[in-house]
Amino acid sequence: MAMATNAKLSPATGDILLMVGTVKGAFIFLSDRERGNFRMSGPHFPGQSVWSAAFIGNGTSRIIVGNKSNHWGAMVSWSDDFGATWKEPTEGNIKFPKGSGESLNAVWALEAATALGPEVVLAGVDPAAMFRSDDRGETFRLNEALFSHPDRPKWNPGFGGLCLHSILVHPQNPKRMYAAISSGGIYCTDDAGDSWAACVNGLRVHPDVPGATLCPHKLRFDPENPSRMYLQNHPGVYRTDNEGRSWVTIENGLPSDFGFPMVAHPRRGGTIYSFPLTSDEFRVPRDGAPRVWRSRDAGASWEPLGKGLPDRDGFFTVLRDAFSADTLDPVGLYFGTRGGQLYGSNDEGESWRAITEFLPPILCVKTALVD
Amino acid sequence: MRVHIPSALRRWTGGCDVIEVPLAADMRMTAAEVIEALAREHPGIRDRVLDEQGELRRHVNIFIDGENARSLGGLAAQVGANSEIWIHPALSGGAHD
Repeated sequence: MAMATNAKLSPATGDILLMVGTVKGAFIFLSDRERGNFRMSGPHFPGQSVWSAAFIGNGTSRIIVGNKSNHWGAMVSWSDDFGATWKEPTEGNIKFPKGSGESLNAVWALEAATALGPEVVLAGVDPAAMFRSDDRGETFRLNEALFSHPDRPKWNPGFGGLCLHSILVHPQNPKRMYAAISSGGIYCTDDAGDSWAACVNGLRVHPDVPGATLCPHKLRFDPENPSRMYLQNHPGVYRTDNEGRSWVTIENGLPSDFGFPMVAHPRRGGTIYSFPLTSDEFRVPRDGAPRVWRSRDAGASWEPLGKGLPDRDGFFTVLRDAFSADTLDPVGLYFGTRGGQLYGSNDEGESWRAITEFLPPILCVKTALVD
Repeated sequence: MRVHIPSALRRWTGGCDVIEVPLAADMRMTAAEVIEALAREHPGIRDRVLDEQGELRRHVNIFIDGENARSLGGLAAQVGANSEIWIHPALSGGAHD
């Protein structure tokens, strides 16, 4: 996996696409299936922060991003030619109702929800809410039930805002969805979003005082069993085996219980990846030696994966949306840091190489297979 | 009145840097009404200057004849037929940049 070069992208079917959002723009990387060399294009939306991205395939390739100008606001924009040109909506396409007192701060999550329909995109935003698009990310409407949930007054913004960052759609029963909010909790719907219930039994709050709210950081499905999910929580790492009705801790064996991302293998049940940080108070890898930690038994045990990563002086942070997996065999893994490094592995995490090292601070990394 | 458009928003005005908003000599309107008048002819301006609650975005300033509208009543600030108005990105900066 060699350094990227900045180039015009000409994707072919089967290529791997990396969509990298940073605080100063988006960068798009493309490689063939070997993932030995990545070509890069960017920055797209120079000067804007890009918090989220998604790829909509089905034969008509579209990249959508959640871009934000600190001056002119946040929105969802799209490109149908792999970033050669972009379309920004004339009017904001994610808006809170007039009179609600809320206004969009950033689009934290974009998910192509193909289980709900080929054109469906779900967005999670700050302040915490979910929006749905039925036209591939061009227009969105608010999920009223979650927005007006009686728990809402108890939700509190963290350092990053009050964000809905994780959206999971059950692959066999798309009326069942999950949404995770920092700081708010995890909510489940069984009626395609008409009603939502908290599913947080067993999770610790931090601080452990009355009135404190839950702060899930990243939620992922097990690829073989969607009744099973994995969670990097603010305090703790968890698994549920019963669709979120209860959670058990799986952090034994990890160097700390604090971190942001959680990644699941795209096919192999029980295989997950974490990027632990020293502590809530010191959000860098322990001893300056960043490691990806892998479990192959659903969190019963963990092993560090560090070949190719710094053994010292590596005090960077990986944010919750900046670590993801592709769907090839062997699986490719990619994470971006707040130091601007983009690392990749094309052997399921056994070894790592820097794809590029000098981007702005990275907010999100998403992958897609060009179809 | 004349409204000066910052470079970042000129894609929504066909590249024009100054837009004339007609107003009778004896009439006045508010800064909010100026934005609405602009948006009728140039969709795309409103949502970048105002949020969905109709508030002036935090890091956008409107200057009316050399005064920041925030000190003149905000979006309720009055403008006249001969006013010069600037929409301007605030000179914000700091640790998060």
